[in-house]
Amino acid sequence: MAEALGAAAELFFVPARLGMMLLGVLAGLVVGILPGMGGIVAVAVLLPFVVRLDAIAALAMLTGALAVVHTSDTITSVLIGAPGSAASVPSVMEGHPMARQGQAARALAAAYLSSLIGGLIGAVGLTLSIPIARPLVLAFGSPELFMLTALGVSFAGSLLGKEPRRGIIAGLLGLLLGAVGPSPAAAQVRFSFGQIYLMDGLDLAIVALGVFGIAEIIGILARGGAIAERVDLGHGWVQGIRDVIEHRWLVLRGSLIGMWAGVLPAIGATAGTWMAYGHVVATSKDRSRFGKGDIRGIIAPEAANNAVEAGDLVPTLLFSVPGSAPAAMIMGALLAYGIVPGPRIVQQHLDIIYVIVWTFAAANIIGATIMFLASPALARLAYIPFTRLAPVVILMMVLAAFQETQHYGDILTLLILGVSGYMLKATGWPRAPLLIGFVLANPLERYFWLTVNLYPDPDTWLLRPAVLVISALLVFPFVWTAIQALRRRGVREARAAAVRWRPGLGTMVSVGLLAIFAYATVTALGFLRGSSLMPLAVAILGTILCAAQVIQEIRGRSVPVAEEDEAPEGATGQIVARALRYLAGIAVYTVLIWFLGIRLASGLWVTAFMLVVARMRWPLAVLYTVVTILGMELLARVLGIRLPPGVIALPGL
Amino acid sequence: MRRAALALVVVLIVAAGLAPARAQAPYYAGKTIEIVVPFGAGGGTDIEARFLAPFYEKHIAGNPRVVVINRPGGGSILGANFYTANAKPDGLQILATSGSTVIPFILGVPQVQYDFKKWKLVKVNGVGAVAYVSPGTGIRRPEDILKPAQPLVYGGIGAANLDLAMVLAFELLGMNVRSVFGFEGRGPARLAFERGETNIDYQTTPAYLSQVAPLVQERKAVPLFTFGFTNEKGLLVRDPAAPNLPTIYEFYQQVHKKKPDGQLRWKALQALLNPAFTFQKALWVPQGTPPEVLNALWDAVDKMNADPEFKEKSKNVLEGYTLFRGDKMEATVIKSLTVTLDVQKFIKDLLRTKYNVDI
Repeated sequence: MAEALGAAAELFFVPARLGMMLLGVLAGLVVGILPGMGGIVAVAVLLPFVVRLDAIAALAMLTGALAVVHTSDTITSVLIGAPGSAASVPSVMEGHPMARQGQAARALAAAYLSSLIGGLIGAVGLTLSIPIARPLVLAFGSPELFMLTALGVSFAGSLLGKEPRRGIIAGLLGLLLGAVGPSPAAAQVRFSFGQIYLMDGLDLAIVALGVFGIAEIIGILARGGAIAERVDLGHGWVQGIRDVIEHRWLVLRGSLIGMWAGVLPAIGATAGTWMAYGHVVATSKDRSRFGKGDIRGIIAPEAANNAVEAGDLVPTLLFSVPGSAPAAMIMGALLAYGIVPGPRIVQQHLDIIYVIVWTFAAANIIGATIMFLASPALARLAYIPFTRLAPVVILMMVLAAFQETQHYGDILTLLILGVSGYMLKATGWPRAPLLIGFVLANPLERYFWLTVNLYPDPDTWLLRPAVLVISALLVFPFVWTAIQALRRRGVREARAAAVRWRPGLGTMVSVGLLAIFAYATVTALGFLRGSSLMPLAVAILGTILCAAQVIQEIRGRSVPVAEEDEAPEGATGQIVARALRYLAGIAVYTVLIWFLGIRLASGLWVTAFMLVVARMRWPLAVLYTVVTILGMELLARVLGIRLPPGVIALPGL
Repeated sequence: MRRAALALVVVLIVAAGLAPARAQAPYYAGKTIEIVVPFGAGGGTDIEARFLAPFYEKHIAGNPRVVVINRPGGGSILGANFYTANAKPDGLQILATSGSTVIPFILGVPQVQYDFKKWKLVKVNGVGAVAYVSPGTGIRRPEDILKPAQPLVYGGIGAANLDLAMVLAFELLGMNVRSVFGFEGRGPARLAFERGETNIDYQTTPAYLSQVAPLVQERKAVPLFTFGFTNEKGLLVRDPAAPNLPTIYEFYQQVHKKKPDGQLRWKALQALLNPAFTFQKALWVPQGTPPEVLNALWDAVDKMNADPEFKEKSKNVLEGYTLFRGDKMEATVIKSLTVTLDVQKFIKDLLRTKYNVDI
């Protein structure tokens, strides 16, 4: 092994190849910063160039890009509240509130350092595990994979927020959204409303962009002003580094969780980040700051999402079973150079594997350093009046969503999920369980189905040692949450009883959710046996809980409380009304895109937004629009991003 | 004034003389070709298209830019429908298809709005596949498959998907197999085989050679048969990448001591073999695309096959199988996509009665 590591170092530390890696890192950083775009875009952009390179240089370039995407995506999540990629949503939840409190520098410093360490731990883990990982991966059968996803779902239990019932309902809603599309258990497409667009299910990036991105942006716009009111760039950096040192074990735990989630291709990369986040919340004594800007909620997931990419390379290289699309594309490139992943790779190409390891480690160091240096400048974005930033961010999110299938349905889904996300946010529903539910719905259902079918006799899988261990882990947080809920009960009831119910947005959302679950129940009754199991269970439970929620709201025992930042006392109504107007504005934008295509629609809409909302004078507004559209064209050319055309096809637009 | 008019005439004549010369510049010079992949990034069809793109840039006369765009959805139906509705016969948008695009077409799935017969074939290439069992099944000789030592369990994605060929092979051979569907791909299904959760599986021949052949050496897997390969005459021959293994046709004879010809079960499997394997990966343009454009695309295939760099790099990506010019194979490919009604009915009935799939 040491020999191969040395040989790999000689192959890797050649100026031309280092240069290629640096190009890859830069591309990865830029793509990571763009909201909603991650590893797939980064690797796709570079592939046409790597054909001209030798194998080592090509690998250095691609791995370099993939290694740092999750380093730079943090900045968008923290500063703007639009997830830089689906795996950085926890940073929206914890980092963005910190940015609003003027602590952007602290959040970013902690995030970069954790990413860096997570990446390095991932590289070391990859080095050590490659020779021995095959039996380890094979030890995880379908029952273990099912139990692990169940464990991931149970982590959501620690993110339920003040009212556990609402959290559970949100989680169920996520599972239900995840059930849209093909059933893993039977040849049936569910909840597609006859739309071919929905036949493959909803896209994770669009769900994350809608439920978190659009919702956050509307929230900031409605509140008015800039993202951060206080300027505090000075010593935040030092504090962020201190935070990481203080929570060093958290960094390690986050990295290991991420690494492991990557190694098991069934679980998926995004789930690893969420598991790390759920884990840190579950194991913290004081949970009061989570969701309002707790540095621990940034450190663990950021470490995890860089380590995931290293872990993902294990099944890719050893079994030729990639856990994510970018890893699959890198595998395609490997094939072109005659390197065939599989059981023989350890004997035949160990040096190549260690070149990947070296690249991964070096890219993480370089990427984090570049982001450290660039961030003070980028952090100033948080102090610009947000109305001037919003149109560009919204445009970027629409473009990112449209890359998923290049169907107008992408944009419509983004809008619908954005409106729903804001409604949930404004009426105090936790959204983290929703995303966890969505991410894990498919593996949960798939491996449950496979387990019961591959092991017709339940004893044969229920009594497997690993299943028993995970079961114990699984039960613990539930017991813990129940005990804590019992303890707090007296206090909450005393407070809640004082409030009188009045009909409003809160009730509307609760009743709406009830209607969704009830509809899903009726629909799921008509599904084939295998494919109705999960959606039916989820929908029935959701219907019961929603009914209880509505009744309790009417009795005045559960009051919608908007998230912390939403409003100074008493002003909630006004802010929500303003937010609804902004949502209407975005709806108009999407309709314009449908008719005119994004070029013309953006020309009209961005100018109008600048004139009416940002109150710019018109020459400036026009200049702003022109620059925005030129930027979009540049992106389209450089990154190969597709622009939505309109139904009215105007020549050249 | 007169001089000016004369000058103008001269200029016009010269311009007229130059015009044909300009028209002789290759059609594709300065243009961009989009390869529309109706699957997500990172899938087999996407990886192949991205691999071919730079070679098309190099070998199509005029050296156009070639970009790959993904339009996934509906298991490739959405992208193929989109292509039907939008592509113009100008050779600037090319559709990539795979077996998953063809099978719903063959079975007459109602969402399908595309028709292969309205397209021209640009290139086609395929891949073989190998079926194998675990030694625990006690299967040593072909006839053992009818009385295995333990119940056979197969892991697949979905009966109406690419597993259809395997399902029809079980039917043809008269094997008693419990099929468990729900895996996310053939890779994870192979992992389940290695874990001992299933004991019969198939992989494309390249995946078999790199991932399963080592298991065969360690006596952890026993190969059964290949799905064969259709040659240019349209005949099923041994898989060029695994010439030592019998085809399903030969294997049937070894098991049952007679030929399968004439049986509806065999016709049904035969109908699936080409779209699922031999002609799995194809590129298409709409009918009405001008001949000069088609020729440029077809010639590029020959130039690629002659390019040593392509030969070297395609060994693993195209998995050792030949890239065919569209015009040479079009008739055979189109013929293989036409399924007789009795075969269609047989497959649909089988899926409905045995696998609870209603199309």
